[in-house]
Amino acid sequence: MTIFKKLAGRAFRRSVWVYHCNSGACNGCDIEILNILTPYYDVERFGIRLVGSPRQADAILLSGAVTRPTLPLVKKAYQAVPAPKLVFAIGSCAIGGGCWYDTYNVTGGGEKAIPVHYFIPGCPPRPEAIIYGVALALGLVDKKVAPVELKQMEFPVDMYRRAKLFEVNNVIYKLLGEEEDRLEFGRK
Amino acid sequence: MSRGEELVRWLEKELGGNFISAEATIPGRLFIDLKREALSAAAAGLMNRGARYQVGVGYDARKSGQGFGLVHTFAFDKDSLLVALRTFAPGDDPEFDSLTPLIPGAGWSEREYQDLLGLKFRDHPNPRRLVLSDDWPEGIYPLRREVPHDLMPPAAEEVAFRLDEAPPGTSIVPFGPFHASLHEPAHFSVYVDGEDIKGCEYRGFMTHRGIEKLAQTELTYNDVPFVAERICGICGSVHSVNYAQAVEAAAGLRIPRRAEFIRMVALELERLHSHLLWLGVAGHLIGFDTVFMQAWRIREKIMWLAERLTGNRKTYGMVIIGGVRRDINQDRSEDIRAVLKEVEREMLALEKAILKDRTIHRRTRGVGYLSREEAVKWNLIGPVARARGVDIDARRDHPYAAYDEVQFEVPLADSGDVWGTLVVRVKEVYEAIKIINQCLDKLEKLPKNQPLAVDLEGPIPSGRQGLSLVEAPRGEAVHYVLTGEDNRPERWRVRAPTYPNLQAVPSMLLNNKLADFPIIVGSIDPCISCTDRVLVVERSSGKAKLLSRQELENLSRGKRSKK
Repeated sequence: MTIFKKLAGRAFRRSVWVYHCNSGACNGCDIEILNILTPYYDVERFGIRLVGSPRQADAILLSGAVTRPTLPLVKKAYQAVPAPKLVFAIGSCAIGGGCWYDTYNVTGGGEKAIPVHYFIPGCPPRPEAIIYGVALALGLVDKKVAPVELKQMEFPVDMYRRAKLFEVNNVIYKLLGEEEDRLEFGRK
Repeated sequence: MSRGEELVRWLEKELGGNFISAEATIPGRLFIDLKREALSAAAAGLMNRGARYQVGVGYDARKSGQGFGLVHTFAFDKDSLLVALRTFAPGDDPEFDSLTPLIPGAGWSEREYQDLLGLKFRDHPNPRRLVLSDDWPEGIYPLRREVPHDLMPPAAEEVAFRLDEAPPGTSIVPFGPFHASLHEPAHFSVYVDGEDIKGCEYRGFMTHRGIEKLAQTELTYNDVPFVAERICGICGSVHSVNYAQAVEAAAGLRIPRRAEFIRMVALELERLHSHLLWLGVAGHLIGFDTVFMQAWRIREKIMWLAERLTGNRKTYGMVIIGGVRRDINQDRSEDIRAVLKEVEREMLALEKAILKDRTIHRRTRGVGYLSREEAVKWNLIGPVARARGVDIDARRDHPYAAYDEVQFEVPLADSGDVWGTLVVRVKEVYEAIKIINQCLDKLEKLPKNQPLAVDLEGPIPSGRQGLSLVEAPRGEAVHYVLTGEDNRPERWRVRAPTYPNLQAVPSMLLNNKLADFPIIVGSIDPCISCTDRVLVVERSSGKAKLLSRQELENLSRGKRSKK
């Protein structure tokens, strides 16, 4: 992943133009993609622009479950994008086919058609999520995930143990009738 | 004597032995069973009495020994009456009379069942594939009972669209399937002579996801509203409310008053954001991006409001059968009022800027003209029809939920062009704000802490029909439900508003400039996902040409003489 990130950082150092490819979506994700251009979200400040042709684009924003008729079209659009290129699957449908993943007219997600590099979940994803996903790919922001050392986890585990102890002691002290000492012990 | 009784009497007299039965399930609905020989005579009679054709519904009833069923629904807008004519054909001879020579708007419905159910239509003027793809094998009809919902015949490689040749003297300009001005996959092959559009062939149904098949085989009654919402990311509530109303009508369920008002608030919020969305997109299509930015800036407040009310910006998930899932309490209702006040203020400023802008006037006036007669002939609905002076609105003509308790106006325009649709939509924004405020007033007066949904008393009996209308932002959406066994509908048919409107686009395009193509198609606010998904199968087939060259010429002459 780091190598990929470095490569992406180098390849997409300048403004990234994205092509919106609707492969049979319900408009939900498409409208949110358009929404990121509007004044409140304004992705052009990151140099991201929607373009009308795949040949001008660096990245594809794929929405929809890739229906049977659009499958060859999506492949063609992907081939038309000059390398290096990124593909974002936006919304539940593009990720895995959504709630109609196995019907007779649905191929079942963007990965069945073209290689997908990033998945942005949601039904539909919020505009913030789309911007965050694209910015993450471009190295503009860091991943919002706890570090691998699980530092975050140590604290809650400890809290949990103490709470459990408190609960157990509560019962014991109640049985023994020593209410005062219970609080003392619990604080340890 | 009401209109319904009069119709039944007339049909009994006219059809004699071919008339089987008539049933008025709830006020304003009339379900008539006929023998199939009498179908076109009955339909012609209804049309002569001022009916408006809505949709055809075909279904597979071979399990119960009835063969294939075909339902055509008609609306009498002045009398608040919906009439459904149902006929059956035996399973080994599924042939019906085609209504298309009589009613051009029935053409797509019939071709759909030709593809999906293998029905045959006698004398259909254009019996080519519509929904299924060219590489879909002959003889497999996905909507038939024996075909599983996940059947996937292997795709044939490199299937080309079977589009027609351009008429002599013209050349083809392709728009789509992926085009910057169409946000959804659809293919228009436009015939141009120089800059002038001389015709157009449409190939769609690329967004078809087989939702109706899913509902008949996999889902249960209460699952469907959530899938129905995902028919369309813009007007999702329309479909879930509409489906729930159709099932409630079939089951004879009366939902709490409070739930009706909450549904109305959800529907009108959707209309608000949809019209602002359209306004922005229309501005974008004519190259006026300021309108796009400003309209969407105003719209964003509504999206945030929707998120606070329902938990999601779209696909609200509010509706279940028998009521709604979330309440609108005092705090939220104050929140809504505050947002609406702000939206109205900003909208007034935007309206002033738009309606007096010369650029917009020049790009929209006289563009995409269609006369009132044509609009009626093609059964246009929604703002597209109202811009042509056709005074229809399902909220007023066929009141559902609690629309009979609120006051609102139906804006009309008579210019018959894109400008008219723009004016109508801008005015409807204020009407929607008015309706929401009235709903909130009523909600505040209704008793609180009442249940928001009623439960079904036992399973819904099978074989009952329900028909429901909801005025979506783009026009009236029709849902037909036939209840079935196993706690799921036997047949659920969705007719989205774009379905009839799109069929008239070639007429609107005729003799316009090529540069106006995006705004003319945009003026019907096409929601291709609604239109396609609904029914059944496959990639759009190659041929969906709507008018022949000769027909187009006749139309254009007619248009000129009318002008």
